[in-house]
Amino acid sequence: MITETKIRNIVTAILCIGILSLSICLLLLPKKDFSENENRYLTKFPILSVKNVLDGTYTASLSDWFADHFPQRDFFVGLKSQTEILSGRKEINHIYVAKDDYLIEPYAPPQNTQRIIDTLNRFYKKVSQTQATINLMLVPTAVTIHKDLLPQNAPASNQLETVQSIYTGTEIPKIDCMDSLIAGISQGQLYYRTDHHWTTLGAYYGYLAFCEAKNLEPVPLTSLQKQTVTEDFAGTLYSKVNDYNHKKDSITVYTNPEDCLTVTYIDSNEVSDSLYNFDYLTEKDKYSIFLNNIHSLIEIENQTSSSEDVLMLIKDSYANSMVPFLAHHYRKIYVFDTRYYKDGPSSFLSEHKEINDILLLYNMNTLDTDSGIRGIY
Amino acid sequence: MVFSGIPFLFFFLPLCLILYYAVPFSWKNGILLIFSLIFYAWGEPLYILLMLFSTLLDYTNGRLMERFGTTKLRKTFFLCCSICVNLFILGFFKYADFAVSLVNSMLGTRITPPGIHLPVGISFYTFQTMSYIIDLYKSEVKAEHSYTAYLTYVSMFPQLVAGPIVRFADIQEQLHKRTITFNGMQTGFLRFLLGLFKKVLIANQVGALWEEIRMLGTANTSVATAWLGALCFTLQLYFDFSAYSDMAIGMGHMLGFTYHENFRYPLTAISVTDFWRRWHISLSTWFRDYVYIPLGGNRRGIPRHLFNIAVVWFLTGLWHGASWNFILWGVYYGILLMLEKYIWGKALAKLPKLLQHAYAFLIVVFGFVIFAITDWNALGTYIYLLFSFASNSLADTRFLWYLGNYGLIIAIACVLTCPIYPWLCQKALTLSRPKRRFLSAISGMAILLLFVLSTAYMVSDTYNPFLYFRF
Repeated sequence: MITETKIRNIVTAILCIGILSLSICLLLLPKKDFSENENRYLTKFPILSVKNVLDGTYTASLSDWFADHFPQRDFFVGLKSQTEILSGRKEINHIYVAKDDYLIEPYAPPQNTQRIIDTLNRFYKKVSQTQATINLMLVPTAVTIHKDLLPQNAPASNQLETVQSIYTGTEIPKIDCMDSLIAGISQGQLYYRTDHHWTTLGAYYGYLAFCEAKNLEPVPLTSLQKQTVTEDFAGTLYSKVNDYNHKKDSITVYTNPEDCLTVTYIDSNEVSDSLYNFDYLTEKDKYSIFLNNIHSLIEIENQTSSSEDVLMLIKDSYANSMVPFLAHHYRKIYVFDTRYYKDGPSSFLSEHKEINDILLLYNMNTLDTDSGIRGIY
Repeated sequence: MVFSGIPFLFFFLPLCLILYYAVPFSWKNGILLIFSLIFYAWGEPLYILLMLFSTLLDYTNGRLMERFGTTKLRKTFFLCCSICVNLFILGFFKYADFAVSLVNSMLGTRITPPGIHLPVGISFYTFQTMSYIIDLYKSEVKAEHSYTAYLTYVSMFPQLVAGPIVRFADIQEQLHKRTITFNGMQTGFLRFLLGLFKKVLIANQVGALWEEIRMLGTANTSVATAWLGALCFTLQLYFDFSAYSDMAIGMGHMLGFTYHENFRYPLTAISVTDFWRRWHISLSTWFRDYVYIPLGGNRRGIPRHLFNIAVVWFLTGLWHGASWNFILWGVYYGILLMLEKYIWGKALAKLPKLLQHAYAFLIVVFGFVIFAITDWNALGTYIYLLFSFASNSLADTRFLWYLGNYGLIIAIACVLTCPIYPWLCQKALTLSRPKRRFLSAISGMAILLLFVLSTAYMVSDTYNPFLYFRF
């Protein structure tokens, strides 16, 4: 006969056994250094010293260590997100859980707009002393293009206002890809559902806007080789929300069979004939297949290009998926990631007279906090 | 160490309890003491010396008062010694910076504040030790002969850092003789879990929304959003603070101690007077017994009564932190209590109950805005936003956005501020046995589910604040 007391005892016993077995597991189970799901390094076991014990940092990092190496951490982290979603939350860890399975990063109020304008103008002054033409392309992110997918009542973003004030603040000729992207919405998926980047298709619509501004003949999508390389891409936004039931993304890449490329990663001394490194498909951060993750300077030569133009591309990671389209139109492209290229591209520019075209390409979400754009002096 | 964290729940507490139950009674205080000192040293490795000093002083004073306190004058001497040193310690470590900045602003001097970081729990344990020496002076308690027992009382980890303020008189006997029953352990454990759920699943969640709203800036805060923020802070503070008391009372039970209740559904009060009978009871009775009544209470005429209220509420405000807003908060309640006593108390009691609840609730919510914001300018701005009916929008989409995101949790929190649980228990008693069994099976499963959820929130939560670092 089950009595109320028995039920209470059973509940208490389950709780006690549960607590004890979790603590034993936490102590005994092997530990990971890196969380694939959350895409971050987990706290290391703190080193004991008189100083960190006395100032309290020892016990603080010990507490973090306990939480980071808790048994079945992924399960618990996922459970929390799902509970929050169930309770009506549409914003988790500062990411919108939007319609059509989209996770969308909100646009944080910009702090550095004037500083960015000043830097751009300084760079423009330097460029004006050379023969090269220059353009600035600021790519709005999903929060702007997919405004209609945002959850109901989500605070409005003023990303476009920032785009406009930068465009009007600098003298650099602009390439506005907004209309082109809007036109592309009906053609397919322009942004990843689980990542903060645009898809290859999104990048293609950026490329169309570029071609129009530069009077180039864009290569039609149909004449490119299309290849879906993964359907298991869980991007950075996925790692922030940690809802492990969330639908994952596929990545499609395009190659132009006419192009014969030599890609040289100057900083790491690697040479390749492809703009992709498919080794990254086995890893968590699959967007890194484009241009082999992060490199401060890359040289891309296209032997079969009909053009003699040389482009200097100063960019963030958004450009990585647009380069495959651009490569067709240039004999050579120098790709700079100014977060890591320490010498400043302007000195490079004066040393390389053959550069006759410059493109600055940044996405709006990370522009404000991007230390790279401040390095383009 | 916070109660609602992995180290405490999965290591400290189980280890402490296992050892505590395993050893014979004469060792139990020792085990408890060692664990309490580890608990304190985890967060305050240096200031533990201060606590040891403070307890040794009061213990010695107690012994001396017992031995040599043959006349009133001598007793008063030992009392004054103890009170002065205690208040000096509290004053120095808690209010030195505040006092220096006060002097600087009044005299235009430029003395550098000493920059002392406040020892956790100092306001709680100095009040505990003072209760001992004052009660001893009033012969309401016998002098404690065992320093271990005394130190155990002061440093006991369940109530050390966030109360309740346990009086020595209430616990002296239990320090030497207490029965630990399985039923007590179980009841205590469930009470502890209740506190854990309140803290992790409710207080931290509504607290996160309050943090977001207070940072919004004037342009984005409509009147409704401002009130929503104030409501969230009220709920956060209540669920956080009463959760700490629940956990303390629960752990006390597990260890064989019985503490008084510290919160009695304060947000359902029907007047300000009623609120203070329900909110942080151990603190208000402390001030009542050791300040208000010694000053004469209400028995020395109206002017003196008003003066006494003013003193007590100034001190209550000041106790909560070394900052003007806390003093203002105390004075706010002092004035309201005077008004209720002498002006509208009787009229208020004749109003419909619902209006009385609404009256008290609004006063409390507004009061916690004063409590929440230590910066003068920010406080002024926030109060302006609460009442900017004419110049500001009443509600905007952002308000609806917050309501959509947090509406459910706020609604649950609001319901739980009412005495639902005792009401349900009452109701359950009238049910038939099979129905009662079914109900307890359901609640058992709910407890297990809530425990798994709390663990999930503790494992992944980055927001787990300790609100009493100013107290």
